[in-house]
Amino acid sequence: MNPSSRIRCALVCAAFIGLFSIFSFRLVYLQAIKHDEYAGLAAKTHVHQQVIHAERGIILDANNEVLAHNIPVETVVADATLLSDVHATVDLLNAELEIPSQELAEKLNSGRPYIIIKRKVPAAQANALREKLRAGNLRGIYFEHDATRIYPNGSMLCHVIGFTDFDHHGVQGVEASMEEYLRGQDGFRFIEHNRAGQEIVPYRGQERAPRDGYQVHLTVDLGLQSIVEDEIDAAMKEYSPQKATIILMRPQTGEILAIANRPNFDLNLRSEAKPEQMKNRAIIDMMEPGSTFKIVAAASALNERKLRLDSQLYCENGLWNYGGTALHDHRAFGYLSVRDILVKSSNIGAAKLALSIGDQKFYEYIRRFGFGERTGIELPGEINGVIRPPQAWSKISITRIPMGHEVGVTPLQMTTAMATIANGGKLVTPRIVKSVTASDGKIISSVSPMVLRQVISPETAKQIGGALRGVVSDQGTAAAAAVPGFTIAGKTGTAQKVNPHGGYDHGKYVVSFLGYLPADHPEFVGLVVLDDAHTSKPELNYGGLVAGPIFSHVAEKAARYLDLEPHEEIRKAIPVQRVDKPKPAERSRKVPAERIALTDGSRR
Amino acid sequence: MNRSRRRNHNTVNAASLARWIVMTAFLALAGLAYVYLTLQLYHLGERRKAVETELATLRTQNDVAAGQIALLTSRTALQRRLKEGYLRMIPVSEGRIVRLTIPARSPDEEAVQPVANPLPQHESK
Repeated sequence: MNPSSRIRCALVCAAFIGLFSIFSFRLVYLQAIKHDEYAGLAAKTHVHQQVIHAERGIILDANNEVLAHNIPVETVVADATLLSDVHATVDLLNAELEIPSQELAEKLNSGRPYIIIKRKVPAAQANALREKLRAGNLRGIYFEHDATRIYPNGSMLCHVIGFTDFDHHGVQGVEASMEEYLRGQDGFRFIEHNRAGQEIVPYRGQERAPRDGYQVHLTVDLGLQSIVEDEIDAAMKEYSPQKATIILMRPQTGEILAIANRPNFDLNLRSEAKPEQMKNRAIIDMMEPGSTFKIVAAASALNERKLRLDSQLYCENGLWNYGGTALHDHRAFGYLSVRDILVKSSNIGAAKLALSIGDQKFYEYIRRFGFGERTGIELPGEINGVIRPPQAWSKISITRIPMGHEVGVTPLQMTTAMATIANGGKLVTPRIVKSVTASDGKIISSVSPMVLRQVISPETAKQIGGALRGVVSDQGTAAAAAVPGFTIAGKTGTAQKVNPHGGYDHGKYVVSFLGYLPADHPEFVGLVVLDDAHTSKPELNYGGLVAGPIFSHVAEKAARYLDLEPHEEIRKAIPVQRVDKPKPAERSRKVPAERIALTDGSRR
Repeated sequence: MNRSRRRNHNTVNAASLARWIVMTAFLALAGLAYVYLTLQLYHLGERRKAVETELATLRTQNDVAAGQIALLTSRTALQRRLKEGYLRMIPVSEGRIVRLTIPARSPDEEAVQPVANPLPQHESK
């Protein structure tokens, strides 16, 4: 080989080496240095993240009766860029989904790649449509998995359960407050499609299984709830109040056993409900409690040992001028014991109880009973109520607050306060959620009773409880609240309705009864509140005459349901006749306390 | 002639030939196995997808049925049917009540009495 040939050969070799070196460098650059970037771009083109939907947790009552459940449905979606035969598709969708052809044609001719045709199509209907699309070889229509929330009991417990929005987020009630547990966690899977849009299973990438939402168990017992719902419906029919609330609560644990509000709505037809129907009045409505608040004044005075239960207070013979304004009682009382002040519901007596301990101490006790702050129940939207500090009180506030005026409280706060008396002076946080479990029964979280504080001593609570037994007697204001076979402790309330524009509405009252049963070993505390009840005669519109009998019906049925043993002494005695509404003649000589105070001119 | 032909003739190395044949066969088999297994992988993938779809359908049917059961057996639905007269509440007959222990009778017992099956009926069972 001559030298020139060698040189040519070497040059060719060098050119090849150089060329392949460039290729090699480029290869290393693309495969190693730029690997992640290009792999990402390729993945974007071919790999899709498929969402595996988690199922929302169900809601159950204390006995595992279903309150909220899911039903699978499908969303029919179209990709207008992939439609094979628009006319045939429109005809089929029109026939199967009952959507007007014109509307469908407008949607499908838009050329958009993602068009929602119809939501919440039942699974059976979606399957039938799927088969017909396959048979007609029509492409471009897809089905997305979805679920709809159903509430088997309709309007029962509607304000507590709440509901979800379009995206399955809880917006009211337990659905909202327990969203974190109910929601679950969607899973995902990275998949690749072939040209026909079908998944290439061997190329499946990373995958994470979904975690379904947890089951939420409430403390509510549907058996008791059913009793309460029936009675509140009967009360609505009889008295046509603007609003009504009934609450049953276990005092030792704070468990809400039943809770009902009116007006209400059907959870399955929530789109038709008006905002007024959706309010959980037990926690968001503020009311002046009226005479039921006297338990706070009496408990404070006894607990401070300023007075004893049998201490006599002069009740000014029914008219007392204090701070330049007159305070009335419904009857002219001379000397009354602390017990009788509660039994006979003397406004003047209650005012003197509060005066015996002073503004600051009385305010402290009001706050210690939990008024002016949220109870902490697991429901959204609870309000604090309004308790003004003593610095903001007028000269006569100390005489008006003890009889439940100049304060704003929620029905649940009042129930909790009475539960404190029933529970030996311990304030327990009310709760509606019992536990959270996984679908296999494993307990994720369980809520234990929480004692917030010892508000009054057990002795004081016992004394107040004893006095409240007298309220449901012939001498008291709520004889109609009696339940044959059981001793009941309770207190009536009749408060003139506050006008939102100032002052009070003449002739409109909020009547209530708050009590517990059995008085010795309370199994439940109950509250009945009727706002603006319509009675046949205005003089019948009192807590003891309207709310008392409703409480009696509820308590009697609840005692039977809970299989409570009647009180031994009473069981052996002659059966107690239910106290019916007294005749007008009888009532005229025993006008309940609250009405006189409400007509006090200084309040307007 | 025979001698010169033998001189020009290359002898076949049988061992080497066999080695090549084995290697070629191995490679061919490996290739076929690769193709077969790849096809199997696709086939099983399709089967898996079909089973998953079937499972999802069954789960959907199960959820729909569970929802319908919840609706039909809810307290509200049962109470409605009871009011409409589709359901009746029948008192439990004496013969169908079985007590595991017979409570002792107290002398001052009142109207409500514990219920017990007569003994011979138990023995006959």
